[in-house]
Formats: sequence, C-alpha cells, structure tokens
Amino acid sequence: MRRKLSAVIALMLSAACFLTGCQTSVPSPGDIEGYDDGEEYLSIWVHTIEDTDEGRCYKESVHKFNEAYNGKYFADIEFIPRNDSGGGYSDKINASVMSGGLPDVITVDGPNIAAYAVNNIIQPLAPLTESERSEYLESILDQGTYNGKLYALGAMESSVGLYYNKDILKSAGVTVPEADDPWTFTEFLEVLEKVKPVVEKKSGYALDMTFPVGEATIYYYAPFFWSNGGDMIDETGLVADGVFNSEKNKETVEYFRTLLDKGYMSAVPVDKLFESGRAAFKFDGAWEVNTIYTSYPDIDLGVAPYIVGDDWNGERYTPTGSWAFAATSKTENIEGATELVKWMSGAESGSLLCQKTKSLPSTYKAFEENDIFQTDENFKALYYQLSKYGHPRPKTPVYPQVSTSFQQTLENCVLSGLDIQSELNKSVERINAKLKRYTYDNE
Amino acid sequence: MNKELTVKKKKKSESLLGMAFFGPALVLLTVFLFIPMILTLIFSFTDFFALNPEITHFVGLENYFQIFRDEDFRQAFGNTVRFVLIIVPLQGLGALGLALLINKVTYCKKYFKVAFFVPVVMSLAVVSTLWIQIFSPEGILNSILGNFGIAPQPFINSASQALPSIAIMSSWQGMGYQMIIFLGGLQAINPALYEAAEMDHASGWKKFKDITLPELKPLCIFVFITITIGAFRMLVQPMIMTGGGPSHSTYTMVYDIYETGTVNWEIGLASTMAIVFAFFVMILTVIQTVVTKERGNKHADKKKKDK
Repeated sequence: MRRKLSAVIALMLSAACFLTGCQTSVPSPGDIEGYDDGEEYLSIWVHTIEDTDEGRCYKESVHKFNEAYNGKYFADIEFIPRNDSGGGYSDKINASVMSGGLPDVITVDGPNIAAYAVNNIIQPLAPLTESERSEYLESILDQGTYNGKLYALGAMESSVGLYYNKDILKSAGVTVPEADDPWTFTEFLEVLEKVKPVVEKKSGYALDMTFPVGEATIYYYAPFFWSNGGDMIDETGLVADGVFNSEKNKETVEYFRTLLDKGYMSAVPVDKLFESGRAAFKFDGAWEVNTIYTSYPDIDLGVAPYIVGDDWNGERYTPTGSWAFAATSKTENIEGATELVKWMSGAESGSLLCQKTKSLPSTYKAFEENDIFQTDENFKALYYQLSKYGHPRPKTPVYPQVSTSFQQTLENCVLSGLDIQSELNKSVERINAKLKRYTYDNE
Repeated sequence: MNKELTVKKKKKSESLLGMAFFGPALVLLTVFLFIPMILTLIFSFTDFFALNPEITHFVGLENYFQIFRDEDFRQAFGNTVRFVLIIVPLQGLGALGLALLINKVTYCKKYFKVAFFVPVVMSLAVVSTLWIQIFSPEGILNSILGNFGIAPQPFINSASQALPSIAIMSSWQGMGYQMIIFLGGLQAINPALYEAAEMDHASGWKKFKDITLPELKPLCIFVFITITIGAFRMLVQPMIMTGGGPSHSTYTMVYDIYETGTVNWEIGLASTMAIVFAFFVMILTVIQTVVTKERGNKHADKKKKDK
C-alpha cells in the first residue's frame, strides 16, 4: 500500500515537472502592488540582478516612473542576471524571441542595436520632439539610430581615456596638449621616445597596451582607425570589402606594429604595469579613473586627449557605447513603451546611475547636475572628449564578427607578425560569410 | 490456475510501480537530454539564426561542408587533437606513477592521497585564474626559472607555448582522480603473486611489467578512455586563460561551438559542429575499445596456453 502511494506521488511529481514549464501569465490590476485599474501594463527587463548598485538604480527609476505616471502606466521590472561574457541575459532574450515571451522594454548593449533591429527584435520608438532629442548626447542618438530610425536610448555612456602618469611625464619633460589639438601618430611616437628612458629605469614600458580577446580591443583601438580616415564597415552596415581592408587601415595596423618594434610596449601582457607606476600611458575605460583613485592613490593620474591620425580633420572619433533601453517588436503599446524608455534613459535616471555607479550619464542635464564633471579635471576631460568627439562602434548586424575579426587582426599582425593585407582580407571574408543572410534579398 | 494469475498480476503491478518511480527521471531526461539531442540533429540541417527564427531555411548538408571549409573549425579540430595527445599520456602515466609511489609509502599515506586529490575538487575556473598568475611573466614559474638562469617564458602568451602550458596544467589538475582509481586497483592485486616473483629473484621492473600491468589492464583501459573523452571537452581553461588565443592556438572545438552558437547567434552551424564533434568522439571511443580489447584477448589466450 505504501509503495503504491509513493508510486502515485512519483507520477504526480513527473506531471508537475512537465506542467510547470508550460506556464505564461500576464498580471491583472491588483495582482501587484501599485498596479491599479485603468493603468496600462508595461513590462521591462534589465540586464543586472537587483542586488547591485546598477540594479537598485533601475528599481528606483521604475518606482519614480510609476509615481509620475500614476493612473496612466504601470511599469513592472524584472531583473535578469548576466555573467561576465554577456551570456545569461542575451540567452533569455534569444529564448523569448523563439518562444514569444518578450516584454515591452528591454535593455540592449549599444553595438547589438543594429542586429536586434534588423532581426525585428526591437522596433523604432514613437517619434520624439526636437527638444526631447536635444537633451541627449550626440553619441547616444547616433548609437541608437539604425537606417535613419531611432530604436534605443541609453541611460549611460562610457568612454575610454588615454591615461598618463603625471610624475613620469614631468621627469621626461612632456606636456600634454589641449583636447582640441591632440597628438598625432607621429607626435605620439616622439613623446614615447622621450618617455622611454624614464620608464626603462623602472624596468617598465612607455605604453601599457594589450590586445585582449573580447570587446575591449575594438572598443579601445577603433579610434586609431577612425581618426586615420578608415572604418570597419560602411554606413549601411552591410559592406566590409574595401572598407575593413582599405589602404588606410593597413597604415594604422603598421603604426601599431611600430609601437611594438620600437619597444614602447611589451609583447607579453604584464599585469598592472600602469597601476604599479611602471608605464607612462595606458588606454582604459572610464571606470579606471575610479579604480586608480580608490585602489592606487599613489599614481598621479591625468587624462590626455586620444591620439589622432596624421591626417585627422577634426571629425568624431573617440570610443562610446553602453547599454540602452529599447522597445521590443512584441509590444502593442509603443507610446507607453517610448515613455518608459525616455524616462529610464533621461536626466534623472542617468544622474542617479552616475552617482551610484560612477558611470557617465547620457544627457547634458545630468552632466551639469553632477559636480564631479565640473571639479575633477579627469572626469571633465572625459566628458569633453565624449560630448564633442564621441563616435559609436560600427553599426552592423554582424557586429560580433567585426569585433572578433578586429581583435584577431591586431593580435596576429602586431604580436605574431603576420602579413597585414592578407589578415585584413581574411577578416573581410569572415565578415562577408556572416553578412550573407542579410544580403540575400539585395541580390 | 489462481496462483499463475496472481504471479502475473504481481509482476505487472511491480513493473508498473517501477515505471512510476522512473517517471520523474525519465521526464527530466527526455526534456533536457533526448529532445535537445534530436533538436540539435534537426538544426544541423538548417541555417537557424537565433535572433530571427522565422527566416530559417532547410539547407541539407550545406552546413557540414561549410564547417570543414572554415579555417577556424579546422584549427579548433587540430588544437583539440593536440590537447588530447598531450593530456592522455601525461595524465594517465602521471596518475599511474603517483599511485605506484604512494602505494609504497607507509607514513602519512592519507595526507599524500588528499594532497594530490585536492586539485581535482577545485573548480576549473578557480584553478585557471590561479595559474594565470603562476604563468605570468613575473609569476612563480618564471621566478624559479630565473634562478636557473633561464629567461622569462611567455607561456600562455605565446602561440607556441600556450597549448602545452594549458595541457600540462590540466593534466596536473586531473591526475589525482585517476591516481585514486589506480591505487584501488593496486591494492586489489594478490600479494601472493609478488611473493612468488620475489622467490624467483624477479627485478622490480619485471615485477611491474609481468604482474602489475596485466592486473591493472582493465583499469588502464577505463582510465585511457575517460581521460580522452574528458580532454576532448576542453573549454573552461582556454576560455578563461587565453580566450582561445594567442592567434587561436588554444581554440578548441567546444569553444568554437560556443562562439558560433552563443556569440554569433548561428545555431544551425553550431549544431552541425556539435554533431560532428559527438560523432568523432564516439568513433574514437569505439576504436579505443576495440584495439585494447583485442590485446586483452590475445593475452588471455597466451595465459591459457601456458597453463
């Protein structure tokens, strides 16, 4: 009798396992606190867990949205964890694309906006007024626009700085130029030559430069190519041949090789070369300022303007790009979704994020509200670089392949000494293979 | 007549009970193992793109041709084979050697067993992060080499040294497990055999060759096959330590499957690679089993003859 009972329980358990997977539910008014009758329901997913500074900021912003739009909209936020390499969150999005459970608003990493747009995961936002548009940094609007339509607005921006060690530069007798008149490739070589004897005494290198696998390489070094008259892909985002493997790009890769050949950088990455005071220059993200201030206070940190190609004509070239809010193709309430997107990426939300997580905001107002951009010279320099010269990463649906090819080309040509033109051509072949599915119709 | 019926009934109710207990496990296995396997096979014949499932076409065997034309996949294949070729002898023989040594120890045997087994239970990610520091130009290994006057080696930062470095590290971590297996096997050998060999004035090497090895044969086969299969699945260490580089020198097949499917969103191609990978490992296992069994049988025949 007991065995029969356990058997029945086991059967019910397997039935339960089977059925729990098949649930979907849309809440009705009254189910969640704050969701009142007459309000339109908007669901939003964010790419962090609630238990981080960023997550708490998002929760706070959503709460304020619900207060401001009480009676009209109700936003319901869900926190999706994301691991280091970006998985987790994107897996959930992929799964929802296939099973149809996308919410109204999601967050998208800047470079992925083109791919998501082309594949109908996100749809263009409801039109914004001119004054609303002017609130945002140029780079935010540029990043979120694909094929002339605005899909996403970022709550934060990011940038990369050319950091330098003030003490080393002083002993070498080098002065840093103004932001609008940065060092050119040739001038930078001269600077490195001057700095070399000083760092060699500390058994270091003039430049702490590496080409790690992952997003960092294209993020840090694409500006070298942009400011030297080259690009990774054309404006449509669909043609790489003639762009990625252009003569100008070949020149730029040769420039990196010169940096290695003249001994300004190490062929093998040395941990914490800059942070231990043994390198004069380093390219790193905006977060590095905070890291140095808190963990390496002995370093007297300065931010130099990003270097430019010899033929630079003043165009935009510095790195930008971060997570943005977008409305999915599944939302039936594009007006509401756009309101939520504008709120989450707006000045108030951006200010809060900046204070708690030290990320750069996306609206001019938020920059003005936060003193640190007026008082601290390093943050001020980064802001100036971002607002005046920010350039989004290549906008193309095959961005992941462009990013990997970029990193491989630099690594292979500079560190392993392979032939530059053939590596560039190989990359174009790879990118074209991935582009095939998007150019089926164009042929 | 009644007795027959009750026996049949009992058998039927017992088998029903058995199936009921098996139920939950079967459901979970089907949903998370069998169905995905079948789906992978189906996807490998399509150009399924994760971001846009609607534009999937059936492409037949095109994917299979494409991946073999792809330089990255061919390199990943070659790298994986190279990993296996280094890890299998190193880990297998290392484990055997350690087991033989520990078997002879009389004091603190437990301490040695635990010490060599601890790396096995450490997480792969933790060990990889630790060894990044050990291998670094200013890390422990290079400092030791410096004492002998050898210039600091780039190890995981050089295209030629990265793969062997990771392979050696991986063998070090896994050795403890096979060592415990061999220790168990060694203790199961009848000591009388050794005593008989002593009386015949057999040397240490002869004892090893003619008693230890043959007795351990089934264990050796097991260890050989499991290390091979494990080495083929190498993913975590290259991913954390070198990101597949430098110049794709530590890029393995499983890593390629991950990159293609998750990063590039190309599920169709990734499924194809997964099927080819599984097929290859299966064939290899079958070959290994057949080859080692033959030798085993030959040996059994010889024993019979001598008797």
